[in-house]
Amino acid sequence: MSESLVRRHGLESLLAGMPGSPSADPGVSVTIRGDLGHINVRGNAEGTGFVKSVEQVLGQALPIRPNTVSAGQHQVFWLGPDEWLVATPSGVAAELAGRLKHASTGIHASVNDISGGQIALMLQGPKCRDLLARGCTLDLHPGVFAVGDCAQSGLAKANVVLALVDDKPTFMVVVRRSFSDYLYRWLAHAGSDDGVTFRDA
Amino acid sequence: MLLIECPWCGERAETEFSYGGEAGIARPADPDALGDAEWADYLFNRSNPRGAHRELWNHAQGCRRWFGVERDTVTYRISGSFRLSGGVGKRED
Ligand SMILES: [Zn+2]
Repeated sequence: MSESLVRRHGLESLLAGMPGSPSADPGVSVTIRGDLGHINVRGNAEGTGFVKSVEQVLGQALPIRPNTVSAGQHQVFWLGPDEWLVATPSGVAAELAGRLKHASTGIHASVNDISGGQIALMLQGPKCRDLLARGCTLDLHPGVFAVGDCAQSGLAKANVVLALVDDKPTFMVVVRRSFSDYLYRWLAHAGSDDGVTFRDA
Repeated sequence: MLLIECPWCGERAETEFSYGGEAGIARPADPDALGDAEWADYLFNRSNPRGAHRELWNHAQGCRRWFGVERDTVTYRISGSFRLSGGVGKRED
């Protein structure tokens, strides 16, 4: 029996093989948030019992307006009219998922800890809008895609959840673990003229 | 490329969607009562109009919901999108 289990994300070997001295002033810097856990929550937004009990556990609102994020202790992304993604430090994700499950007992709902299945990348820097626009059909102009907005779309054909976290700007990209090395390589290639750099959180 | 309006997400590029065929085709309530010709009609025959067409689309790369679109098959002009009720593409109003 193993003595301890270590959580590893899918990009650790790629990061380890990176050149030692990234450019000092990168146009885009990508931080790999392997330290975030992900919980998928589904339920009927119109059945008030579900929204209420989930919000009680989260301590913050479930975003009901399409393609918006509720930021608080956790980040809660609208994925569909009956589907949300909760991102929270991986150390508390399992426990939070358990409490959400418990709170939705007897309600037509589902709560799944999918932390091992996807990974979040944070993109910062003056060129990150340009880099994302090369692979995404969304209009990312700040007047259209504002802080607090999120969207599921394609980035270089990979399915992603995209969100604007702040107007530095910082973008959050959530991608399936199985697509993460592909997306990493695409970002590295498409962002090479912008001096894109990567680092672990 | 078409711009298709998802009833939840708004206008998105066609590449985010997958096509689901003609809307409003109801599965027969009692398939056993149907002859071969009637069953084949349900399975295969579509109105294939020249002009206004009501069809199903899925926002596959977005919110993953099915919804209806009214599109002109000649001009490709989309006149509107609608949410479904009853599962067969009837308008929700
Ligand atoms: Zn949608």
